[in-house]
Amino acid sequence: MSELSLRKVVKAYGTNRVVHGVDLEVRSGEFVVFVGPSGCGKSTLLRMIAGLEEITSGEIVIGGTVVNELPPRSRDIAMVFQDYALYPHKSVFENMAFGLRLRKRPEHEINARVAEAAAVLQIEHLLQRKPRELSGGQRQRVAMGRAIVRQPKAFLFDEPLSNLDALLRAEMRVEIKKLHQKLGNTIVYVTHDQVEAMTLADRIVVLQAGNLIQVDTPDGIYNRPAAKFVAGFTGSPPMNFLAARVGEGGRTLHLAGGIDLPVPARRVAECARHAGREVTFGLRPEHIGVAAAAEPDVARVRGSVVLVEPLGSDTLGLVRLGDRTDAGEMTGRFSPDAALRPGQPIDVALALSRFHLFDDKTGVAIRGADW
Amino acid sequence: MALELFGVPVKKRAMIWIAGAIVVVNGFFPAVWILLTSLKTETELLRVPITYLPDAATLENYATAFTAQPILRFMWNSFVVATLSTALCVFVGALAAYALTRLRLPHRNLIMSVLLAVAMFPLITLMVPLFKLMREAGLLNTYLALILPYAVLSLPVCTLVMAAFFQDIPPDLEAAAMVDGCSRVGALFKVVIPLSAPGVFTAAILAFVNAWDEFLLALTMMNRVNMRTLSVGITLYQGEFAFPWPLISAALIVAIVPICILIAIFQERVVGGLTAGGVKG
Repeated sequence: MSELSLRKVVKAYGTNRVVHGVDLEVRSGEFVVFVGPSGCGKSTLLRMIAGLEEITSGEIVIGGTVVNELPPRSRDIAMVFQDYALYPHKSVFENMAFGLRLRKRPEHEINARVAEAAAVLQIEHLLQRKPRELSGGQRQRVAMGRAIVRQPKAFLFDEPLSNLDALLRAEMRVEIKKLHQKLGNTIVYVTHDQVEAMTLADRIVVLQAGNLIQVDTPDGIYNRPAAKFVAGFTGSPPMNFLAARVGEGGRTLHLAGGIDLPVPARRVAECARHAGREVTFGLRPEHIGVAAAAEPDVARVRGSVVLVEPLGSDTLGLVRLGDRTDAGEMTGRFSPDAALRPGQPIDVALALSRFHLFDDKTGVAIRGADW
Repeated sequence: MALELFGVPVKKRAMIWIAGAIVVVNGFFPAVWILLTSLKTETELLRVPITYLPDAATLENYATAFTAQPILRFMWNSFVVATLSTALCVFVGALAAYALTRLRLPHRNLIMSVLLAVAMFPLITLMVPLFKLMREAGLLNTYLALILPYAVLSLPVCTLVMAAFFQDIPPDLEAAAMVDGCSRVGALFKVVIPLSAPGVFTAAILAFVNAWDEFLLALTMMNRVNMRTLSVGITLYQGEFAFPWPLISAALIVAIVPICILIAIFQERVVGGLTAGGVKG
């Protein structure tokens, strides 16, 4: 059953449209993440779901009710804010109890529900403190606790981890995922961090300039990006892009720098339809390596190492394909054992079964039949 | 290196003390003089050479102050008028300040400027129309005849003071309150106002003192003795040909004391409010 539906939702400030007709169905218990660069409309969309922003046109349905005209308090949602938005003049207990008090719940129920949420979040010892006496991570927990005690139809998270340092962010990410597995709530989560999106989401919604670019599982977003924008947004480092032209019969890809790559047999038919077309060729760093023995569907290209970034577990190497001045460069994820050195000549292996092609003007993925 | 005391060079510190002393003396001298006068007899007051401290301090003037005129009644009138006009002013001002800081209002800055302009209206120009208005409404010699104009006169400055404070409350706090179950007005009263308490107290004190001190309107709107406020009531102590200064001084001290108590109670919050508003606003 769909818990939350957006139907052609538009937001405009005067003549300036910031959200262009978004359609989305969120299933009950689903963890959906809105991701995109700042200004893509993801927070606006979330605030429209919450009722904090009016929608210009379209419909928002929560739990079967059209909520367009309902104020936030009548939508049965809870929200966690980026800067926590804890009431500074109330204790942690009162922060969490506030929503229940406003709904005139009996005292024993308030005590029980706050205690329960505090236990889940391990903040029982903080209940009598004021927010200013808490660390960032503790405040974040309290903010989540305030949402949990309400037992709403859906939780909305607005970049909840952006104010935390990297280590704490990773920790809280795990906490949020555990919490979702335990409570099974419907969650809509906004972030600009693709790692958060990939790790947390059941489905990711990628937004760009107020348009919904792709809605898919993390696997789908990563391995079958619908646009160059999505491919360039996910993965760290993101996908490599090079200008290319599809050769005669779709059997060859001509890359910048005079590199010709043979298209694997399996993908010739798909490329043949675009023969002669200027495209953007994309390949993820993990599909670039040091060439060893000949493998099927792996192209060997002579090149040189430009830059080496050791990460410990892997080493990122920026390699130049070929030796011409217009040669393209790509970042590959190499084993530390490869012992790359800048300037060193290298035989690069490109796993061509995994390449992506995008329209060089619109950035839309040119999809094969196997998708 | 210059001599220092608590991190400030001694020379600079001395200048600060001198400047502070000038301000304090200038502010307190009249009050102290009134206090000393209230303790003297009329004969001592007129004696030459003048005495500074009363020779034989007497509380007789205070006793007379309470018997010659219904000063407790005046005080009650002042209290009712000042309290209710302050409450009204702060309530309406809070709503206005909220609208000015939070809602997407067209011409926000114009509205702010008009508010300031209204605050600069000389009261005397409003006197005749206000009097006519109150007479037609049958409100002369009622508390409303002062409560309404006092609230309105203090409204601009109260609104601006509170607006400066509301501006500093993160909007997400209200959003959180609204998601939690408050209406917009509920969020204002449950979250925004409690958090801007210093600003609200500052506004309230300003409104209260304005109302307590006001003379011209009080004189015009209330002509029955038992509806007089303190500021007007004190003038009733003077006779047709005589100015009993010690008696008037005693009545003045009686009028000042409640305000002093009020300020003392809220001092910390108001001082915090005045400076915070100044820095942030």
